[in-house]
Amino acid sequence: MAKEEKHSVIGHPMPRVDARAKVTGRAKYAADIELPDMLWGKIKRSPYAHARILNIDTSKAERLPGVKAVTTGKDFGGFRWGWIGTTRDEEPLAVTKVRYMYEGVAAVAAIDEDIAEEACELIEVEYEPLPGLFDPFEAMKEGALLVHEDRPGNITTEYHWNFGDVEKAFAESYLVREDNFKTPRMAKGYIEPPAIVAYWPDTDHLTVWIAKGSPYFPYRILARCFNLPLNKVRVIQPFIGADFGGTKNDMVNGDFAAPMLAKKTGKPVKIVYTQFEELATCLRRHPVWITIKTGVTKDGILNAIQTRLVADGGAYTRMSPLSLYLMGCCMTLPYKLPNFKTDAYCIFTNNPSSAAMRGHGIYHTRFAADVQMDMIAEELGIDPVEIRLRNAIENPEPGEIYHTVNKLTVGSCGVKECIEKVAQAINWQERKEAEKIDGYLAHGVGVAAGAYLSGARLTGHNAAAAVVRICEDGTVNLLTGASDVGQGSDTIMSAIVAEVLGLELKDVEIKRVDTDYTPADPGSFGSRVTVYAGDATKRAAEDAKRQLLKFAAKEFGIKPEAMDIKDKKAFVKADHSKSIPWLKLVKLACYTTPGNVIIGKGVSTRGVGQVPNWETGEEDVGANYSFTAEANEVEVDLETGVVKCTDNSVIAHDCGFPLNPPAVETQVQGGAYHQGVAAALYEEFKMDNGLTTNPNLVDYTRPRAYEAPMTKVIHVITNDPFGPFGAKEASEGSCCTAPPAVINAIHDATGIWIKELPAQPEKVFWALKQL
Amino acid sequence: MREFEYFAPKTVKEALSLLSQYEEEAEIIAGGQSLLVIMRQGLFTPKYLIDVKGISALDYINRDEGKGLRIGALTIHRAIEKSPIIQRHFKVLSEMEGNLATIQTRNWGTIGGNLCHGDPAGDPAPVFIALMAKLKLASLGQERIMEVEEFSKDYLEVALEPNEMLVEIQVPTPPPNTGTAYEKLTVMKGDMGIVGAAVSITLSSEDGVCKDARIALSNASSIPLRVREAERQLIGKVLNDDLLAEAGQVASEEAETTSDVHGSAEYRREMVKVFVRRAARKALERARAG
Repeated sequence: MAKEEKHSVIGHPMPRVDARAKVTGRAKYAADIELPDMLWGKIKRSPYAHARILNIDTSKAERLPGVKAVTTGKDFGGFRWGWIGTTRDEEPLAVTKVRYMYEGVAAVAAIDEDIAEEACELIEVEYEPLPGLFDPFEAMKEGALLVHEDRPGNITTEYHWNFGDVEKAFAESYLVREDNFKTPRMAKGYIEPPAIVAYWPDTDHLTVWIAKGSPYFPYRILARCFNLPLNKVRVIQPFIGADFGGTKNDMVNGDFAAPMLAKKTGKPVKIVYTQFEELATCLRRHPVWITIKTGVTKDGILNAIQTRLVADGGAYTRMSPLSLYLMGCCMTLPYKLPNFKTDAYCIFTNNPSSAAMRGHGIYHTRFAADVQMDMIAEELGIDPVEIRLRNAIENPEPGEIYHTVNKLTVGSCGVKECIEKVAQAINWQERKEAEKIDGYLAHGVGVAAGAYLSGARLTGHNAAAAVVRICEDGTVNLLTGASDVGQGSDTIMSAIVAEVLGLELKDVEIKRVDTDYTPADPGSFGSRVTVYAGDATKRAAEDAKRQLLKFAAKEFGIKPEAMDIKDKKAFVKADHSKSIPWLKLVKLACYTTPGNVIIGKGVSTRGVGQVPNWETGEEDVGANYSFTAEANEVEVDLETGVVKCTDNSVIAHDCGFPLNPPAVETQVQGGAYHQGVAAALYEEFKMDNGLTTNPNLVDYTRPRAYEAPMTKVIHVITNDPFGPFGAKEASEGSCCTAPPAVINAIHDATGIWIKELPAQPEKVFWALKQL
Repeated sequence: MREFEYFAPKTVKEALSLLSQYEEEAEIIAGGQSLLVIMRQGLFTPKYLIDVKGISALDYINRDEGKGLRIGALTIHRAIEKSPIIQRHFKVLSEMEGNLATIQTRNWGTIGGNLCHGDPAGDPAPVFIALMAKLKLASLGQERIMEVEEFSKDYLEVALEPNEMLVEIQVPTPPPNTGTAYEKLTVMKGDMGIVGAAVSITLSSEDGVCKDARIALSNASSIPLRVREAERQLIGKVLNDDLLAEAGQVASEEAETTSDVHGSAEYRREMVKVFVRRAARKALERARAG
């Protein structure tokens, strides 16, 4: 029996619960928050990428009429913060040294934004400019100057892992090839730049509205920064204007400056970054230089892969240790790989810091490995679809588990089916044999496959919890710490409650995160919300259901376990004619003397326990793993080098079981395909000695809704044993398959290999000239 | 953004009075699609801003066979793109406007604003140069006419006096057997062109010889650049594809391309060849079709 037939809410198309508020403009984002007497803050930024701060004179700024307070890094009393306890290397505002261009050194609060900006210009900062390090390979050289004096070699983080015996495997291989690839710095390109409103209701309570995908990050960091107990820090999450990969969790200068200025003035202070500030100073995807050596048998079966990665981490550590971990650990998916060795380095430079972006980590190495797979296929005369099918991990039989060489646990794997389905949908054979060139246009097709983890398992707080409160009129309130950043998780969480309690989606109301009331949760990153918060929500709803069934069972004089709830009725399992309507049951439960309160509680510990071993690269980094295959057609203008993806594109995605199929499809299209295609063809921050030279969305090209190509989406259902209702991560993995599929298609069309993303026109043009 | 005093005159006369009063300290804003960007970046801080968008008398498209086409300076791009008159008689203008920018910009930005911004990457100027268009510039009590070709002086610099504003674009009716086309290099539809070329070709009705040719480039110099040497490759000859390619080659030598984030000077030079040829092919086809 197909699993979806068992469900009445999930697995069926449903509209997003937040859609109406968003399309009618009623949804309030952080920048929309207005409080009486509110001040505007602005950040004073350094014009140097690397310089010692000798003196900061704020007196002129303070005297400007309308200015209410000025703060510098010294006000924070030596506080430093970082992504985890061991990486606290960044100050709220730089005190002694700036390490990247436009790093914040001071901030102003004034009665309006223009005065705050003018006051920033009046702050006089004396710098001693230092030579800058902008190339990680220069920074790695012996004797190179140091970005952080206490970090020798400028190494942010490094991993050296070894599984099996790559040397032996290479020696036994029919073909060994080594290639170099490079991925660029990329912008997340949020529609909503960083924004915060901070307010101290009294001297020992801090309240902030902040545009973060993970409100419990600032909750902890601000508590430490201002020396407050956690129960006096209130972080309220407004609607979030997109996240695109978790970097929105991290703090920016303004997130510290606003609370400090609010403290100094006793008034609410708002700081909203401009797109320029976002694009020129905020976190971007790591540029990574990848050397990949692969050995295969004559039949193209993978024997071994060895990689050397050098990533430019920029000025501060941020979450680079995780980025680098993910680049390595998932090389063993989605193909069977018996031997794997990697040496990976993330390096400090004086560029703006790098961090997560959708497809975190895996995007880089999957690009290199899946393009190289086509090179190998070509050398061996094997079809690109065929070589992938030969290497793809099989779907384990129910109850069985596939373990990768680095101990990843795969309970379900639909990658083979994904590859077969995209090949069929794009008419692979016919397309491969078709005439490629028509005038100055060439057409080609490419394929790639990939995998992604559901829910990065990390040290620290990684559990998720939910509270389901039954209201006496039969409606339900849901509290979770999980945050919807646009991916549709509020809808899924509500649907899970409706499903378990036999209700309709509209009967459930989910509250946005407010750390005063909602349970702690790591937030939205690492494709974790559905698997962890969804699991917690399911447990909370089940807890409430158990409590309710006690009252129902009493009516029939049977055990609660003998009853169930569906379609707004509690019924006896053995005799469906014996039932109580939902509303009657709720009233019975709530009004039973002396009156009852039904609150269901659920905690998920799927993300807790065995966490990855950062030293060896072993153990699960996710609760389970999604799989994807993608086939793309491209059109290459042979005279100009302009490459376009046509609408002839297919993504087959195994997210275990799609809880809201249209949401998965639109995420795959808008959140994965377009972002992936943009990574393949368009997007790159251009740099000049630490200065970002295209910090705007005109010069930093990405597809717009009208011009973007479209892709078809095929669901491959595998019902994973480790996810709620069989679900796994949806669509982040499909962000990683577009770049290799597009680059492989360009090769099919023209014969050139683009090994450095993106395939911008000029790069393609000169490569074509060299053919 | 720095504070400024804002005026919203409703007539040309009011606008010109304000201009004559404030001269250099005043700046005209129409659709604001270019000006607001540089003002927000703090690159430009006018003391007085004269918003002419509300002057409805400058929003028109007229044509008669004798005088040719008249476009009011405050006509929005989208109106030109969609005008049946222009689609019928000046297809190249409609095509150029349809690919000028995103729909939002086309719906608000004005043709006059685009020309007066003086960005060499702008699409309208080279097309108007190929069409031998003229501009009507007005100051209080005075008017003068100037060739579009003469209008651009340098990067973001045009030949407007401080007390003057652009009020009309005048496009003569092209001679018989004339074809005009504009092609630009973009990564996506609606992008600013990395380079572009407008080509107008007039053939003799008797022997099919090229009587006249006009070629102007966008984003290949600090101004919209007319490439006369390239034109000379075509004039007086029976055109074929090799000659068009030759014109492209010569145009690329005349171009003064520079490097930026979208492409190197060398690549742009190569692309001038391609786009002059592509536009010329299309123009020739149109000229032959009459």
